[in-house]
Amino acid sequence: MPEKGLYMLEFIIQNNIVCHAVEAMLFASVACAVLSVIITQVQISSIGFTMAHAAFAGAAVGMFLSLNPTVCSIVAGVAVAFLIGPLSDKARLSPDTSLGLLFGICMAVAIFFIAYMQTLGQGFSAMGLLFGDVISLYREEIYVLAVICVVAIAFIVVLYKEITAIIFDKRIAESVGIRVKPVYYAMLFVIALTVALCLPIIGGLLLYVWLVTPAAIALQFCNRLAAMFVVAPTVAAVISISGALVGLEYSLPVAPLTAVLFSVVFIAAVLLSPRRRVTFRKI
Amino acid sequence: MTPSDPVIRLENVYTAYEGADRPTLTDISLSIGKGEFVVIGGPNGAGKTTLLETINGMLAITHGKAIVCGQDVRGDGVQVRCRVGYLLQNFAFDPLTPFTVEEVVLMGCYGTIGLFRKPRTEDYVEVKKALHLLGIEDLATRPIGQLSGGQQQKVLMAQNLARNPEVLLLDEPFSNLDMFAREEINRLLARLVGSGITVLIVSHAFDDLPDRPVRVVVMQEGKIVVSRECPPKEVEQVVRSAGKGALHA
Repeated sequence: MPEKGLYMLEFIIQNNIVCHAVEAMLFASVACAVLSVIITQVQISSIGFTMAHAAFAGAAVGMFLSLNPTVCSIVAGVAVAFLIGPLSDKARLSPDTSLGLLFGICMAVAIFFIAYMQTLGQGFSAMGLLFGDVISLYREEIYVLAVICVVAIAFIVVLYKEITAIIFDKRIAESVGIRVKPVYYAMLFVIALTVALCLPIIGGLLLYVWLVTPAAIALQFCNRLAAMFVVAPTVAAVISISGALVGLEYSLPVAPLTAVLFSVVFIAAVLLSPRRRVTFRKI
Repeated sequence: MTPSDPVIRLENVYTAYEGADRPTLTDISLSIGKGEFVVIGGPNGAGKTTLLETINGMLAITHGKAIVCGQDVRGDGVQVRCRVGYLLQNFAFDPLTPFTVEEVVLMGCYGTIGLFRKPRTEDYVEVKKALHLLGIEDLATRPIGQLSGGQQQKVLMAQNLARNPEVLLLDEPFSNLDMFAREEINRLLARLVGSGITVLIVSHAFDDLPDRPVRVVVMQEGKIVVSRECPPKEVEQVVRSAGKGALHA
């Protein structure tokens, strides 16, 4: 029976566990996949690792201070999201270098607190952040993912012109009269916020895949950025829902299975891509 | 701003890059009227590109005053850039860049369209006009990454024309063009100047300039050493002699 609250896919999928897993995979994959187009085109794929380790550090600090580790991991992720843009500007570093720096700092903080807690006899497991937990989700967590999905899509729709110009060339975008800096910071923030909020639910492994692979698959077939913004989330949703259904049906780990499915589809996309086709026509 | 007011007015302008211990441009004063054709010459590193980016507000002015199209560049460079076209010197697009020529040219209008608004019908009309002016309508649906360097340069030129600029700043616009395309662009520039657009061009190629009086500005070490009108055929001589003069100074 569907539980109380706002119904989504309960009418199609009767089993609550499967239904929640499918909804989570759908919303998170679409959110991450639309953002993957920006991430791959602006070449900031390390944002996934950095945010994952920010969340990891937040959870470790939360455990140490006896606070809710999930809330702390989200707070740490959001804090790092605010830092990425200004840090690259003030320190005159490329966004990728800034992400690398923050990644190192976050990892150091996380390892320090884990090691310290072990000396105090307290345990801490990082496995939850790596694989997530899509089979024991509360309805509220699904709502969070649905909201993230809407925010990511709305962000791209509302600032589509500015985002595409920045993806094309930041200096050209500036020269045509676009306020590049605030849009760019907002772009990094929305990506980082999505990662921070999806990570505890979905896990880092699948998140990394979602942040890069859907756009890489779309790029094999699309000559236009607008098409990529449609193809990437569509492909991601189909593969992710299939992964969840197959994984739950045959008791296989959902996140790794879905990640493997993405890899298979990517290889197939590269092989079938018309971009590498050479014409042998003479006229 | 009255019709007789200069379109570009720089008064004792200094510009410095972040982290530099001395200014890149020093004490620049320049007044350029509507419909003037200005050629900026000088050796590498003289500050020619810096001058263009100071005029359109992409570089911060540390001292002095700059009024372009009646607007204070120090106040709001974005508003100035909506009215000033700027063709950058360096660009190279990935062959897989997912942008068609039409999309790239439309980007030229994004600043004037404004935040949260969609391109209007008139913007698409301007894009078509710009593509036609450059003779590249047939490339409209092609991905820009698959074009030659010269074709890409024409696309970026069209991008700047699409927003009907009052001033056009061109940094080495002939660098990727063959001789036919150069002649074509020069004819186009002559027409633009004739219609009242002010053109500032940084170039090392002074042949085939439009057949009309040209203002030559020669720069050396961040300063303007010559600024005077001359016939197009004498531009190279003026730039050369200014360079020699500075060398022997």
